[in-house]
Amino acid sequence: MGYVAVEAGEEVIERAEQLFEKRRTEGESDPVSIDQIDEQFGRLVGQVMNEGGLYAPKLAARALKQAQGDTVEASFLLRAYRSTLERWDDSVPVSSDEMFATRRVSPAYKDVPGGQILGATKDYTQRLLDFDLDGGDDPTADWDLEEAEPESLRNVLEILREEGLLAEPSAEDDGEDYDTTREPLVYPAPRSAILQELARGETGAITALGYSTLRGYGSVHPTLGEVRVGSLPVQIEHPYTGDPVEVTSVEVSECESVVPEYEKRDDAQFSFGYGLVFGRNERKVIGMSILDASTQLEGNEPVHDTEFVCQIVDGVDSFGFIEHLKLPHYVTFQSTLDRIRAIRERTADGGDSPATTEVSGDD
Amino acid sequence: MTDRGESDDDTLRTGDGVDAGESSTAAETEAGESTTGTETDAEDETREGLESDGGVSEPAPSSPGVAPESVDGLLEGVESAGIEGYNYAYLDEHTKREVRRATLKAIAIPGHQVPFASREMPLARGWGTGGIQVSLSLLGPDDTFKVIDQGSDESVNAANIRRLAETTANVDPTRDTTAASIIQTRHRIPEEVLTDEQILVLQVPTTDPLRKVDGSDDRNRRRHAHQNYSKMWVSLYENVVEWDEIQIGAAYPVLVNGRYLMSPSPIPRWDTPKLHQAETLFLFAAGREARIYAVPPHTDVEPLAFEDKRFQRERFPEACALCGSTDTYRTEVETDDGKRLYACNDTSFCEKRQRDPSIQKAHHVDRDVGWERLEEPAVDAANDGGEGR
Ligand SMILES: [Zn+2]
Repeated sequence: MGYVAVEAGEEVIERAEQLFEKRRTEGESDPVSIDQIDEQFGRLVGQVMNEGGLYAPKLAARALKQAQGDTVEASFLLRAYRSTLERWDDSVPVSSDEMFATRRVSPAYKDVPGGQILGATKDYTQRLLDFDLDGGDDPTADWDLEEAEPESLRNVLEILREEGLLAEPSAEDDGEDYDTTREPLVYPAPRSAILQELARGETGAITALGYSTLRGYGSVHPTLGEVRVGSLPVQIEHPYTGDPVEVTSVEVSECESVVPEYEKRDDAQFSFGYGLVFGRNERKVIGMSILDASTQLEGNEPVHDTEFVCQIVDGVDSFGFIEHLKLPHYVTFQSTLDRIRAIRERTADGGDSPATTEVSGDD
Repeated sequence: MTDRGESDDDTLRTGDGVDAGESSTAAETEAGESTTGTETDAEDETREGLESDGGVSEPAPSSPGVAPESVDGLLEGVESAGIEGYNYAYLDEHTKREVRRATLKAIAIPGHQVPFASREMPLARGWGTGGIQVSLSLLGPDDTFKVIDQGSDESVNAANIRRLAETTANVDPTRDTTAASIIQTRHRIPEEVLTDEQILVLQVPTTDPLRKVDGSDDRNRRRHAHQNYSKMWVSLYENVVEWDEIQIGAAYPVLVNGRYLMSPSPIPRWDTPKLHQAETLFLFAAGREARIYAVPPHTDVEPLAFEDKRFQRERFPEACALCGSTDTYRTEVETDDGKRLYACNDTSFCEKRQRDPSIQKAHHVDRDVGWERLEEPAVDAANDGGEGR
């Protein structure tokens, strides 16, 4: 047989893998270490953890190194690893009031309880390419800082909530959170499942879909109650005493937004959108809050269709299926050719045959 | 909200000591390779290491000489050694049980799509992850496993899937259709007749034939529940009006057991009749879409068609250039010197025919299945020349 286009034994696969590996090692610089990736590419590591749905900075950094910087591939590696692991427990729900915030801005109010915390950001600096970016010096080294106690910050939206201006999303009955990695996602899906899908969504997809409604393809244009970045305690129930015990904390980004979509409700209230992801990823978390709000509101545009949003945003799904088109398709293509030829034969007498035709099933 | 609590203990499998938060970073420091369990007792202490910035803390020492019934004791018995560190047949036992339950339910309701919590596999989604989950939940050490992709055992993706089953489930690989106990396939049913001792696992990209007429899974599930397939029939009718043909290539929709509309996966129409009243169990699995469905043995499977527009199989103008077959599915090959040839798509059977041109598709069974001796209709056959049932 020499006729089948993509045929290869395992040796060929192995060699392809080796060639891929060579791309990483063929340069003259030193190999980058996992620690370096974790410490110096924190944003990437955060993205891989939130898209991978696993909080494990060192593993995310390892995945990034293995994937040569491809974030979707790296979060896929993390998910594939995680899917082999047993799930042992749930943590205790925790209010984000308890977050130790390193950054918190509230666009909705000029002054908020606890104040605006600018934190580490480049938002307001000029984006000039820095040609002197080599040093390892800490520019804050000579800051005079007192050791601050972690301060819990009241959520800005509590102000609206107390006034009754915020429509609460309908509570789910059993109080059990749905876990889409353990239970199949069927529609209509509970909100906890939708939030999980959004939190694991691909950053670019969440940003693009969130942007689509701002751009006019949807009715959501939110005001952000606040955007926070900080460290959130993780508590589990002690196996013997049953008391909540703090076992670790995770760095998260959080966003709460209000949407003036009150005209569709009897009682004029703001709609509400929520976003929370691992690591620092403000645009994703804002996009997530937009999509959380939009999927709860009616509308004809894609962002209001929960199924559409959830099916589209998962990077591991979309990357896999887009790239599967590289697999051989000659069986299905032959079947398609047969149909088109049959139609052409039938219409041959009537002049030009239909040139373009969508033939389905060629997957 | 996200996956809190999920990653709580990764340690039992590989002994990486990987975990949410700082106990993970602790254990991962040594490249996550061979550190054994570090958390459990050490949770409260390691908390301090994180306060600063969620960064790396010192690895918590695992206490030596712990009682064997403690978690640490168990973990010390687990050595991480690459693929050997994984569970038998890759999936953990809970996942296998879940997949088997979905499979049993699918067999009980032929043609009905059963949701399951599809796991991320070490293959990209859309590359056979549903099929490999079903295969791995079925395979045991005594099984013989064949994998084909678009008819070929040697296609790179088939080789990759086979390698995963070989390394994690220790099954014997084979290319011989008649020797396999489980066959995973993408887009083909082998030419040789399958028996009641074999299971065919088909990879499915798009589970619901109704997707074509409505994108919503929610609405389509209702249609299936009510056996309301009118939209599908209208779509076929419009097809005939517009093209004077039912213009579906592969993945021709079928009605299973007189009840459920089902996509047979993108097998060519050539293979569709093989599903009808077969001896074999056919399992269909979609990883990305998280659905499993089945055609059990001895089940009616009927392609949708009209009395005056019958179901038609593909037609081929020439015999196989390699073995001379005229009763196999062939694909066309454009050669370097500009000629067009036809060659069998089922490479394993073509090789058998090349050795013995007289060998029949049912050579190994003593029954007549009906479709195995079918010649394809002549190219110029009238529309009613198809072999609709
Ligand atoms: Zn042949």
